[in-house]
Amino acid sequence: MIPFLLRRVVQAIPTLLLASLLIFFVISLAPGDFLTPAKLNPNISAEQIANLERNFGLDRPAWQQYLLWLGNMLRGDFGLSFQYQQPVLGVIWPRIVNSLWLVLLITVLFYAVSIPLGVYGAVRQNSLGDKSVNVVLYFLLGFPSFFIALIVLYFIVQARFATGWDIPVGGMRSDNYAELSPFAQALDIAKHLVIPALILAITDAAGLTRVIRGQMLEVMRSDYIRTARAKGVTERTAIWKHTFRNAILPIVAGIGGTLPGLIGGAGFIEVVFAYPGITPMLLNAIGTQDLYLIAGFTMITTVLLIIGNAISDILLAVVDPRVSVS
Amino acid sequence: MKKALFFTLAMTLGSAVAAPFVHPAAWTAEQNTANKRGGEFRSYVISDFKTINPFTSAEADSIPGTMDTGTGLFTQDPRNDDLIPYMADGEPVVSNGGRRFVVKIRQGMKFSDGQPITADDWVTTYRIHTDDKVGSNSYDSFFLNKKPITVKKIDNSTLQFDFPQASAKALVIMSYAPWPDHIYGQAYRSGGAEAVKRLWTLGTPASQVVSPGMWVLESYQAGERTVFKKNPYWGEWNKDARGNALPYLDRYSYRVTNDLNAALAAYLAGQIDSFGPRNADDLAQIKRAIDGGNLKATLIANVSPQSTSQWITFNWNKAEDPDKQRLFRDVRFRRAMSHIANRQAMVQLALGGLGSETYYSVYPIFKNYISDAAPKYRYDLAQATRLLGQLGYTRKNAQGYLVNRAGKVLEFNLATNSGNTVREQLGRIFTDEAKKVGVKVNFTPIDFNNLVGQLTAKGANRPFDAILLGLAGGDNIWPFGTNTVPCGGNLHSYNNPTNGACLTPQESLMTKLYYQGDATLNAAQRRTIGAQLLKAEAELQPVVYLVGGNYHVTYSERLGGAYEREMMDAYYGSRTIALTFIK
Repeated sequence: MIPFLLRRVVQAIPTLLLASLLIFFVISLAPGDFLTPAKLNPNISAEQIANLERNFGLDRPAWQQYLLWLGNMLRGDFGLSFQYQQPVLGVIWPRIVNSLWLVLLITVLFYAVSIPLGVYGAVRQNSLGDKSVNVVLYFLLGFPSFFIALIVLYFIVQARFATGWDIPVGGMRSDNYAELSPFAQALDIAKHLVIPALILAITDAAGLTRVIRGQMLEVMRSDYIRTARAKGVTERTAIWKHTFRNAILPIVAGIGGTLPGLIGGAGFIEVVFAYPGITPMLLNAIGTQDLYLIAGFTMITTVLLIIGNAISDILLAVVDPRVSVS
Repeated sequence: MKKALFFTLAMTLGSAVAAPFVHPAAWTAEQNTANKRGGEFRSYVISDFKTINPFTSAEADSIPGTMDTGTGLFTQDPRNDDLIPYMADGEPVVSNGGRRFVVKIRQGMKFSDGQPITADDWVTTYRIHTDDKVGSNSYDSFFLNKKPITVKKIDNSTLQFDFPQASAKALVIMSYAPWPDHIYGQAYRSGGAEAVKRLWTLGTPASQVVSPGMWVLESYQAGERTVFKKNPYWGEWNKDARGNALPYLDRYSYRVTNDLNAALAAYLAGQIDSFGPRNADDLAQIKRAIDGGNLKATLIANVSPQSTSQWITFNWNKAEDPDKQRLFRDVRFRRAMSHIANRQAMVQLALGGLGSETYYSVYPIFKNYISDAAPKYRYDLAQATRLLGQLGYTRKNAQGYLVNRAGKVLEFNLATNSGNTVREQLGRIFTDEAKKVGVKVNFTPIDFNNLVGQLTAKGANRPFDAILLGLAGGDNIWPFGTNTVPCGGNLHSYNNPTNGACLTPQESLMTKLYYQGDATLNAAQRRTIGAQLLKAEAELQPVVYLVGGNYHVTYSERLGGAYEREMMDAYYGSRTIALTFIK
C-alpha cells in the first residue's frame, strides 16, 4: 500500500506542473484583464489604471506572473484575488463548505434513487414499471437541470401564492436563522437544500440507473448466478449479494471523479437557486477575469482529482479481490 | 462676573448640544406620524460583496458604500439639486478666487463605536485615498486636471480644502465619507498602504467594523446575506421634522441573489422589499402578481429615463485608410448617420417601448442641462441621402449600396460587445435602416475586452471603424464627462491621437467650455455654459447618441416614506432610507 501511494505522489508532480502551466496560460490567453472594464469608467483616469496595473502585477509579462504564482503556491499561498483583495483560499473556503453540503446531499439522493431503480429495472425487465421509469428518466435527461430548476422555481412561487406556505425559493438559510435553536437551524438548512438537491439528483439519475440496469442484467445471466440459484440461495441473496456486488464494480471505479465534484459545486442549479456555493462565485471570477481566484481553484480541483483517483483504485481493490494495489 | 460666568456656561452648553441636521418634511410623501419604529428593509445584490474595507472597495453596491449612507460634508437636495450643509456646520467660507474652502464640522457627531468624528478623520481618509499604493477607487476624485487637491486640518472641527482651480464640483469632492482615524490612521502611520489593505477584509468580525454613517455591519455570510444595524449615534445628529431620531428602521439587509431572475422570484415571493424592473417582462410579472392579490406592492412604470446612454462613435484616427478617415471626420457623414438612427424603432423593438430617445451626451434625466438651442438630427432618411450625396455618394451599385466615383462601396464595420442583447438589437436596427439609404454596415458583436481595448487605443491608426457602446455615471452638477469631452481624455473616443491634441476648432471650443463650466461656481452661469457646450457637441455630432432605458419603481406595501411621484427619478431614487419605515 505505502509504495503504491508513494508512486502516486511522484507521478503527480509532473502532472500538476503541466496542469498549472496550462491553467495559467489558458486564462492569460483571454483578451483584456481584470482592469479592462475600469477603462470604460468615465471617472477613472489612465494614470490610475496604470497605478492599479502596477499594484496587481498586471504590467509584467505572463511568464513572470506565472513563475511568481508557482513559487508562492509551493509555499501554500495561492495569491490574492483581485476583486476581494484577500488570499484566494480565504475567499473560496466558505463557498466550498456550502457547496459540500449540497453536493453530499445530492450524492446520497443520487445513489438512493438510481440504485433501487436500476436493480428494479433489471429484475423486472420490460415490465410496465420498468418502462415508465425509463420514459420519465429519459425525459428528465433531455432537459438541462437548470431549466427544470427554473420551472420548479415558478411552481414554488405559485404554490406560495396559493397556500401561503413558506417554501424557500433560494438561498441556504432563512432570515431568522440566527435566532433558531441548533436543531431548528439544521432543519432550516435542510429545508433549503432539499429542493435543489432533489432536482439535480433525479435529473442525473437517469444515466446511472441505466448503467446499473445494464450491468445487473449482464451479471444475472452469468453462469455463477445460475449456479447459485440452482444451489438454492434465496432470491434476495442472489440479487443483492451476488449480482449487485459484481455489477457495481465499474461504478466504484468512477467514484474518484466525485471527489473534485464535491468541491466543484452543483453548477447552474446553485445560480438559479441563489445558493451560496462555489459556482456563482467562480462564474463571477471568470466574468471579471480574477486570474488567481480561477487558477487557484482549478489547481485545488486538480489535486483532488489525483487524490480521488488513488482512492478509487484502493476502493476497487477492496471490492474486487482480483485487483491489487501492490 | 456672574454675567460672564453665565455667558461661558451658555456657550459650553451651546456647543455640547449642537444643532442636528433636520431632514425636511418634504423629503417624503408619507410622514411617519404613527411613530412606527424598527423593522428591516430587505434589499438584494446580484453579486457577493467583495470587501468591507472602504479604501479597496470598487463595487457599485458595497458594504462600505452602505455604511457611509448619511455622511458627507454636503448633500444634494432632491427637490432642487442644491448642495446643502450636512456634516458641515454651515456654508463654507470661500476665498482665493474660489479655490480655498474653509469648512466647520457639525458638533456632536460620532462613529458607531462612540468616538467623536473630527477633522483628523477627513484628513486621514484623504491621505489614504490619494496614496497610489492603496489603489483606492476614489483616487482620481482628489485631482483636478491632474493637479492634486489638498485637505488640511485647521483645528479639531475645521477643515481647509485647497483646489488647484475653481470647480463647480468642489462641494461634491469635499463630500467624501470620513473613515475613523483611530483605526485607519493608526494602521497607515505604522504600516503604510499594506497595513490599510489588510484591515477589514471579509474575514473581519463585524464587531470590529466602525461606521461614520447610518448603518453599521451586523453580520456577513458569504454569498448569502449581509445585515446592517442602525448606528445609534447617527440619530443624535439626524432628526426628522418633528425632532425624532433617525433612521426609523432597525436593520438594512442584502440578500445575494446572483442573478436578476432569482431577485425577481424573491421579490414576487415577498422575500425582499423592492426590485429594479429591467423590462416589460419584469413589469408584466410584477403587475400580474399584484393584480392576482399575491403581492402587495406599488408599481410605477416609466418614472424617468435611466442615467445611461447608448451611442455609436466613429474613429477619426485611421491613417491606414485615408478614405474612411476623411469620411468619419466629415461632419455631414456623422449627421447623416444620426438621421439614419431610427430611435423610435429602437425604443419600441429593443426596449419594448420602455425607453427614451437620446440626442446628447447629457442624459435626458438631467433636464436642467438639456437646451433647445442644440440641434437634433432626427430620423430622416431623405436628409441622410441628401447629406451623403453632398459627399459624392449619388450612385448605387447592383446590390443597392452607394458607391463613389471610384466605384468604392460606402461601408464600415460596426462592433459592439457580444452578449448585450439590447445593444445587439440596436446595432441591427441601425444596420437595416442604413441599408435603406445604401450604406453597408458590417455589424459584429465581439468580445467586450477586445472592444474596450480598441475603443481606448491611442495613436494615428486605431483599430476600429465604429463602435456601439454605452456609458453610465456622472452627476447633475456638471453633467459632462471629464474623460469624454476634453481632448486627450481616455474616452474622447472619436479622436485620440498619441499627443491628445484636438483636431477641429469645435473640439477645442468644447474642451474650453468644459473647463470653464467646471470652474464656474454659480449654477445659473454654469447652465448657460452647459447650453453652449451642448450646442457645440450636438452640431459636431462626434458621437451619435441613440436611446436609453427607463427607470421603474416597485416596492412592497410594508414600506412607508417614499418620495412624491414627481421627486422620484433614476438619479435620486424613490426614497430617503432615513425616512423609510415599516408600516
